[in-house]
This record gives sequence, C-alpha cells and structure tokens, in this order.
Amino acid sequence: MTALLLGALGLTLSLVVPGILANADWPDRAPAAAVFLWQAITLAGVLCALGVVLAAPEELTRTSDKPFGAAALVAALVVAAVIVLRLLWSLYGVSKRSRVRRERHRLLVDLLDRVEQRQELGADNVRVLQGALPLAYCVPGREARVVLSDGVLQVLDRPEIDAVLAHEQTHLRHRHEVVMESFTAFYRAVPRPLRSRAPLDAVHLLLEMVADDAASRRTGPGPLRAALERLSDAVPLAEGVAADPKGDARRRRMARLAVSHTRSVGLNAVVTAAALGLLVLPTVILVVPWLGEALDKWPLR
Amino acid sequence: MALGDLEREVMTQLWDSAEPLTVRQVHEGLSRDRDLAYTTVMTVLDRLAKKGVVVQQKADRAYRYTPAQTREEMTASVMLDALTASPDQDAALAYFVGRLPPSALAAAIEAAKKR
Repeated sequence: MTALLLGALGLTLSLVVPGILANADWPDRAPAAAVFLWQAITLAGVLCALGVVLAAPEELTRTSDKPFGAAALVAALVVAAVIVLRLLWSLYGVSKRSRVRRERHRLLVDLLDRVEQRQELGADNVRVLQGALPLAYCVPGREARVVLSDGVLQVLDRPEIDAVLAHEQTHLRHRHEVVMESFTAFYRAVPRPLRSRAPLDAVHLLLEMVADDAASRRTGPGPLRAALERLSDAVPLAEGVAADPKGDARRRRMARLAVSHTRSVGLNAVVTAAALGLLVLPTVILVVPWLGEALDKWPLR
Repeated sequence: MALGDLEREVMTQLWDSAEPLTVRQVHEGLSRDRDLAYTTVMTVLDRLAKKGVVVQQKADRAYRYTPAQTREEMTASVMLDALTASPDQDAALAYFVGRLPPSALAAAIEAAKKR
C-alpha cells in the first residue's frame, strides 16, 4: 500500500504539479519562495521514486519465502543506488561543463575588456565588450564577471545601467547559477520520455524575477523597466523568430514591475510552508509506518 | 600591475600590430612608460599561447606572436557563446534579456556589426 501511495504522490509531483505551477500567476508575487517550492517538489519526487523502489519489492514479497525476499531487497537497493548515482553523475557533469565554459569565457572577456569605457561604472568585476549588439549578462564563478557591451552603454542612461548592474550582481551574490545547475542536472538525469522543461524554464524566470526585485529595491522599478524594454527592443531578431516565443517571460517581468511594489509576506509564508510540508509530510505519513512494519519482517535480519 | 591587466595589454599590442611581434617588440611597446621585466612579457606570451588565444610562429630563429583571432572575431565569438547558452546543456551564464534562438543569432550579430 505504501509503495502505491508513494508512487501516486511521485507521479503527481512530477507529471501534474509542474504543469499547474508553471502556468500559475501567483509565483510571480513570491519568486524566491516559489523557487524553494520547485526545489521541494523536485526533491520530494526523487524521494518518492526511491521510496517506491525500496518499498515495492518488500511489500510484494512479504508473504513469500526468505530467499526470494532477499533477492528482491538486493535488486531494490541496486535500483535505488542507480537512481542516486545517475543524479550525482549528472550534477557532476553539468557543473564541470559549466565551470570550464565560464573559465574560458572569463579569460576572453578579460582580454577584450575596454577598460577606458568602464572607469566610471564603479564595480571592478564589470567588463565592457566592443560591439553595438546590446548584451548584459554575468559569468558566475569564483572570479565572477558582469559583462556589458558598449551597445548597452549607448542605449541606456546611467540609472538604467545601474539597474542592470544591480540585477546581474544579485545573480552572482545569491549564487543563482547553483540553483540552475541543480535543475539542469535533474532535467538531464531524467530518462528522455519523462523529461519536462517546465521546472527548468519556470525556475529560470523566477530567478530573473528575484534579481529584478533586488535591482528595483536599489534603483526603483522605473529604470529597470526602461532597461528591460530598451534592451529587448534593441536586440535585432531574424524575421519570424522570437527570443521567447510567447513573449511571456518578458511580459510577466514587466507586469510585476509596473504594479506598486508590496512584498506579499503572507504568500511567501504560505509557499514556504507548503515547500517544507512537501519535504517532511510524505516521509512522516507514508514511510514511517511502513518502516516499522518492514523492519519486523525484513528478510536480512 | 595585476597579471590580468598585463595579459590584456599584451593582447592589445598584438591586435594593434599589423604583423606578428617578437617578445622584444612587445616588451619595448609595453615598457615605454614603466619598468617591466623582459622575462615577464615572455611568460605572459607563453601563457597566452598555451591558452590558445595567441599563436607562436618561428621565423628567422626568433619566435613571433600573433593573435589567434582578430579583436572583432574574438568579440563576435564571445557574444555568440553568451547568446547560445542553453540551460538544458549547462547553466554557465545568466542573462538580463532572454536567450536568443540559434537562428536569430547570426542575424543579430550581423546586424550589430553593420551599425
């Protein structure tokens, strides 16, 4: 029974909940808590899968004789180990690839840096690339960089540039790349037919919102809004292709910067509580009774 | 002076020069207004060559150095790298504006060059 319940919960968390959460509007009002909720959902999904793998053979063979039960237990442990190793291996691969790529990228932007153009910008981790294509991004890592093209310096005024810098520095200060790396690793570890981009894309957008909030606290929402508008408009796109197909990400970021900023304390608390509950409750409700029962009958004692 | 600054200035020398330069020529260019050891310049050029951003050529019993790419080419490839980051491969870089689909990239960079 436990395996069945865990399985149902796991499938709900990995197939049903992400779709609903990705389309909901309320995470925009509590982006940081929503990121935590996504993490809890993903982790709880993994825990459910492990629970099913460990509980099912024991439950199915509870009535049969000992050697068969022992074999089932060993098989279950192997499958569980494979799941865990696959996740860890994926995480290792993603973080290593990211690190190599960032290091190379940082070397090149350091070499190409137009020092004379950034003297007045203040921060010493900013690099300026020559080129009219407006670009603003950050290269996370031990020696992190914020990169602007001089396209950005031409298109934006000083308060807008400060807003962009504040946004990027927030990504770096809050180590958002670690969050993205873990979701990317999870995405890649899931077998292809079961994969969903929904968590990856949703978390990516939510982290942008977290950085928007920090920047807007620093410079006010006005300059940030203007910068977002100008930078997206200024990137020339090939005909018929859009950076973000539905224009959704940008529209959502703009919309929440337009309304006067009241931090929704209640929503944050509820979402955080839900995330914690998701991590703790299934374990307590389902696994603990099963564990008590199973330990009594476990064949390897 | 920090090593990073020196590397950048060495690259600038090479980019600004019409032909490959020897260590001595780079050293002369850089030590006009400061005290800089010849061996330091040699080490920096060696490091840059190891990283593949500078190419070492042997001509007339002297090593000459030239950038692997022009400044414009390298800028374009850095921007391309920044724009093609896809979070389902790695999560290397974070953006202010959204990602561009690869098909839009070439057009974007072309358009930027023309202005």
